[in-house]
Amino acid sequence: MDDDQLDESLRAAARDYHAPPETPRDAMWRAIEAQRRVDRARRPATRRWIPWAAAAAALIALGVGIGRLSAPGRPAGPPVSAPVAATSAPRVNETAYRLATVEHLGQSEAFLTLFRASVRSDGQERLASATARQLLATNRLLLDSPAARDRRTRVLLEDLELVLAEIAQLSAGGRAEDRELIREGLARGGVLSRLRTVVPAGTIPTRGNL
Amino acid sequence: MDDRELIGRVLTGDPRAERELYDAHVDRVFRLVYRMVGDIHRAQDYTQEAFIRGFRRLADFRGDSALSTWLCAIAISVTLNGLRTLKRAREREVGLDEAPALRSRAVEADPDLKVRLTRAIDGLPKGYRTVFVMHDVEGYTHEEIATTLGVQPGTSKAQLFRARARLREALADFARE
Repeated sequence: MDDDQLDESLRAAARDYHAPPETPRDAMWRAIEAQRRVDRARRPATRRWIPWAAAAAALIALGVGIGRLSAPGRPAGPPVSAPVAATSAPRVNETAYRLATVEHLGQSEAFLTLFRASVRSDGQERLASATARQLLATNRLLLDSPAARDRRTRVLLEDLELVLAEIAQLSAGGRAEDRELIREGLARGGVLSRLRTVVPAGTIPTRGNL
Repeated sequence: MDDRELIGRVLTGDPRAERELYDAHVDRVFRLVYRMVGDIHRAQDYTQEAFIRGFRRLADFRGDSALSTWLCAIAISVTLNGLRTLKRAREREVGLDEAPALRSRAVEADPDLKVRLTRAIDGLPKGYRTVFVMHDVEGYTHEEIATTLGVQPGTSKAQLFRARARLREALADFARE
């Protein structure tokens, strides 16, 4: 037998090397499916929290910024040991208020976009409601601030307040119709598109920069 | 339905799409794994593990190769790791001095080509054996093997050449008959 014949014999014999039996599809699928159920139960729970948690973190940063705005200006340096009587009203920094407003509107736009995208899925009402309440608090602060002197901004903040108030009212396990109504309200009032017009592209902040 | 659409559905969390994807590729993956291990239970374990890893990493699949090739690459990786672990376990169980004696006695005792070939393939180095099984047994092209194993097609050809040479050498006395 020469090399070619041997090679041919090898190839023929090789076809029987560990000849596979019929694929045990169902038996293997049961094991895979069980593991996938575990995977699915783990992963979405983690991922669902990420955007909401990021929004909440950004909101806290914004709240701190607004708080600093509301307080009278204080020079850096050692703390003053005795209170000084106020002789004039707090100095209002228009630019800072404008920045805070843009930041808030950017946060709201991100939140409403997220809300609209997840409106058909259950189980996120509590998170959405909590985030909406925090945004609502900031929104009211801004409505009472010099930022609302601009008519266009005030109207937008007022419309935004209505939407946020509705979302804040959502309860866990709430009706799908409630979520759908809010979504329709969003579309009807064009709040999202107006927010996008006001907030310059790429400026949706995740941290306060006041 | 093509793989891209199926992948999209799996990524949205559709369990039926996972089953469809599994059904479309399981035969090819299982056959390859079984050829590598020759044991139904281990082949099942490794195939299951390959699909579980595949589903977990599906978002990373870029489509540079066919999905079946990508899945086979995962399956080969799982299988080779499993065989390595198994080999270590066996080496602990059987004294190293005893093993060659057992093997040579067995080879001499059985002159049948298929049996001797099976043993010769089992005795090939891991890389040679993988390429030989994929090419000569399962009919993969060198390009497919190269993509699956992450090597150049030339490397696949060279390994196949060496694998065949080793087998010819191992079966030299049979050739003289």
